[in-house]
Amino acid sequence: MSSRVDTATRLRRLFAILGWLVQVGEAPIDEVAARFNLTPAALVADLEMAACCGVPPYTPDELLEIVVTDETVSTRVGTTLSRPRRLSPGEGLALAASARALLSVPGSDENGALSRALSKLDAVLGQVAVAVELDSPEFLDEVRTASSSGQRLTITYYTATTDTTSERTITPMSLFASEGHWYVDAWCETAGSLRRFRVDRISAATPAGPASPDILAAGHPGPDAAGGSSGSGGVDGDANGDANGDQARLIALGAYVPGPESRRVRIAVDESATWLLESIPSAKPLEPEGGRPVWEVFVGGDAWLERLLLRLGPAAVVIDPADYRSLAADAAARILERYQSAET
Amino acid sequence: MAKLDPLERITDLLLVLLDAKRPLSRREIMLRVPGYPESDDASRQGFVRDCNILKSEGVPLVSSRIAGDDQVGYSIDAEKYYLPDLALDADEQAALNLAVAGVHLGDPTGKEALSKLGIGGQWPVRSAVQPLVDLSFSGGLVALPVLFEAVRSKAVVTFTYRGVIRTVDVAGIRFRGGHWYAVGWDRDRTDARIFRVDRIDDIPQPGDVGSAAFPDDFDPDEAFARSPWNFGTGQALEVDIAVDAVEASRVVTELGAESVIERTDDGAVVIRMSVTDVPALISWVMDFLDHAEILRPPEVRAAMVERLGDYSTPGAQR
Repeated sequence: MSSRVDTATRLRRLFAILGWLVQVGEAPIDEVAARFNLTPAALVADLEMAACCGVPPYTPDELLEIVVTDETVSTRVGTTLSRPRRLSPGEGLALAASARALLSVPGSDENGALSRALSKLDAVLGQVAVAVELDSPEFLDEVRTASSSGQRLTITYYTATTDTTSERTITPMSLFASEGHWYVDAWCETAGSLRRFRVDRISAATPAGPASPDILAAGHPGPDAAGGSSGSGGVDGDANGDANGDQARLIALGAYVPGPESRRVRIAVDESATWLLESIPSAKPLEPEGGRPVWEVFVGGDAWLERLLLRLGPAAVVIDPADYRSLAADAAARILERYQSAET
Repeated sequence: MAKLDPLERITDLLLVLLDAKRPLSRREIMLRVPGYPESDDASRQGFVRDCNILKSEGVPLVSSRIAGDDQVGYSIDAEKYYLPDLALDADEQAALNLAVAGVHLGDPTGKEALSKLGIGGQWPVRSAVQPLVDLSFSGGLVALPVLFEAVRSKAVVTFTYRGVIRTVDVAGIRFRGGHWYAVGWDRDRTDARIFRVDRIDDIPQPGDVGSAAFPDDFDPDEAFARSPWNFGTGQALEVDIAVDAVEASRVVTELGAESVIERTDDGAVVIRMSVTDVPALISWVMDFLDHAEILRPPEVRAAMVERLGDYSTPGAQR
């Protein structure tokens, strides 16, 4: 029933507006409407309605104190429904986790306001041991500085999927942490396209001068960069960007999206090794064969599959494609060579 | 009389219940809140629907037995509804908004929390390059808020973990390496344990408030600090591993600079780590392919060489 959904949504929005309005006292109608994503007419209608709400006998002194003029709306401290409300466990967790996550990014709370807000929250909600640990790769600062100041970087980068190292000059665009690692989306001059780099695989980084204005103006990676994201507008990260847009982009991009060039591989494993496959977002369990679990994974480079098979153990077997069946044995032999050559 | 806006009726209902000094029966509420239909059936349906909306919006509306013909009374405990004022200044409000905008949890819970605190709506993004942090995980967050609340209320919890029922005094929750974990005292195993929250099979059932109990020497930080190769009960071994330049940055990021005992001009490092579970260490070293080499002690190096030999017969069962 749509009317029920509508009433709940409108009630939630009314709470949000009153709660915010009481902090500022009075605000222009246009500003409030924009902030809460309403037309000015809809805002005025809801607030005029709310101004008629109260308790019996519904005389003016028993109604919500909301004043709507031609240009502004205002309310008064102490008005019922405008006081902060208790948070559900999920909401308390969301705030505590978000604040702690940003605090663990060096340089993200330079004026200390976030720490102060968090300690006020803890004082009221009760301090709960929530910790957020993020990587701090060696060149995170260099990448962040370059991306915030529009500079290029020359990096030495190890591509794990193909086990190759290369030197590239990149224009960092946006930096994010996902699945436990920091990534940077950047324009890569070597590839002539947008690429995603894992920051802890950068083994050297030196400034390479200002970025081209054209590249910067192109903004963040669009749909083509990520193998099929919906890319809701390419300038989400600009100064006036909308946080919702940024978050949508992150969901769409994920840390690894199997590209068109990736190969589907079926692997039979022991039950005791399936936990490792569970941690790979694109891996999926299939029907068991011969009493053993079978999984499919998408492989972007041989080295990635070598790592996976070696970690799964000798009992893991590639079912198909056939040319991957000896991959683990070949990789193990290559590693073994390093041990044997050191001994002779 | 024109039909009342349903938002007006439900707002009045909320205000009347917040204002009441005692539980009110439905009949008393109908007398105080305008807009319910005349017929008894229709007005009851409308009332039940409004109550459900309020509950779904987190309003602590409860029904209780009252004296008299009506028997059931409805009330909202204002203590449970309002939060003491946080007195956040403008900078602190902006910082919290930035944190919620910059951290992705997979659902809008953070934004709803801000609205409840009176700092909702769209905020101008202050910094052009706010890094985004993704804290969500596939499978949803259903167990996590329950564990969070259990830590806060010091309640023991029971849940099924990979098919086995566990009874745990949860001490804290932590995000690490892309996953959420709970650390606590496992009553059945009488030891500290870490649980990956997305591997909990059901919604944890909390016990009574204050029912959690920890041994005096229990240290959640120590339990969290253990790496996979430190979970065995074997004697701790010091293991030195050479890592090529291409993987040095990743290893140092993971283990910390203090683990480096040697650094060569080409960027390669030798790291030293303390290990109680050698098979777990070997699995970790495999991830570096031929860019890493266990140098010493000889027995760990020999175990690695033996393991590598096992792959020469594909599919060998061990």
